[in-house]
Amino acid sequence: MELFDALGINGKILLAQFINFAVLVFVLWRFAYKPILKFLEDRRKKIEKGVENSELAITKLEEIAEKEKEVIIEAKKEALNLINEAKDNAEKRGQELIKKAQEEASLVMLKEKEKLNQEKIEMFKEMKNNLSELVILAVEKVIEDKMDSEKDKEIIKKALKN
Amino acid sequence: MNLSISLSPDILFYIGSFPVTNTFFWSIIITIFLILIFVLVGQRLKDKPSKLQNFIEILIEEAYSFVVSVIGPGKKARRIFPLVATMFIFVLVSNLIVYIPGQNAVSIDLGAGPVAIFRAVMSDYGLVLIMTLIAVITTQIVAIAVSGPFKYIGKFLNFRSPMGFFLGLMDLVGEIAKIVSLSFRLFGNIFAGEVLGMVMLFLAPFFVPLPFMFLGLLTAVVQAFVFAVLTLVFVSMASESEA
Repeated sequence: MELFDALGINGKILLAQFINFAVLVFVLWRFAYKPILKFLEDRRKKIEKGVENSELAITKLEEIAEKEKEVIIEAKKEALNLINEAKDNAEKRGQELIKKAQEEASLVMLKEKEKLNQEKIEMFKEMKNNLSELVILAVEKVIEDKMDSEKDKEIIKKALKN
Repeated sequence: MNLSISLSPDILFYIGSFPVTNTFFWSIIITIFLILIFVLVGQRLKDKPSKLQNFIEILIEEAYSFVVSVIGPGKKARRIFPLVATMFIFVLVSNLIVYIPGQNAVSIDLGAGPVAIFRAVMSDYGLVLIMTLIAVITTQIVAIAVSGPFKYIGKFLNFRSPMGFFLGLMDLVGEIAKIVSLSFRLFGNIFAGEVLGMVMLFLAPFFVPLPFMFLGLLTAVVQAFVFAVLTLVFVSMASESEA
């Protein structure tokens, strides 16, 4: 073939070029494209995972923040309840204490009154006794001093008139 | 000073009875160079990429996403990617290596007159033909794998109606035309660029060749891309089973 000769086509060289190119394709595919594409894919996945993880982390953080708020609110409520309860309890106890104190006080007062009364009565009794003695004494004295006939007569007269 | 332009690559030396042409020599060097770089990077992937790793990563990632955008994701893309990507990278490097300054002045004399050691690799029609054949045969294999051997043959040899027979023949011609158009497009562009550069350098060595070199640079990238993309499109068309 004249054309092939003119173009410098030689069967041996064609075969050699074919083998050459085939080897190039195979080697590049096996040792370069495959690992590089796999590497790129792995990296893409890694980045994707990283982005997903960061998104997840953000949502988790938001959730946690919300929970935190809820917990704080609940804690505040509980604390308020506790304080109120404590206040109520304290008030109740205070009132109870006051009542008790009042009761005791009134009891004490009653007892004291009774005591006082009794003492009064006893005092009166004693005073009566004393007084009668005194009166007797005084009367005796008066009688001892001025009991004469005149007076005796007067007293009798008075007593008769009455 | 004479200008020697040959359509065929020049033979540098023989190993036994095997003629080593300058383009074959350089294609081997480029192959070794690519294997070295890619294997070095591919086997030592680091999480913190070096500049070279970064560059190759971008190249492969973009190429892969382009392949996926044409042929669709999944097994098909993974199967065809190595061939298409290698075609692109190999053709691109082969075309760009022409622009190493001074290389086209180096020649050796092995008895049969001075022979340029360097020649644009893709201006060797044999190599381009081989790559085209690989592309087209791959396309046929994919078509057979997708639609089955009988349906595949039936597409070209259709006896049900004269019109169908004619269209089948046209399809057959189209497949052969693919080989011619794909190979001669690349070969023609690069060879023409080579010849144009040489002529310009011969006529006016200073400054005048510069615009042509820029044009050649553009051609180098575009043709590598076109070759790989056409292969990809052929395969992708063949892989879509006719519903």
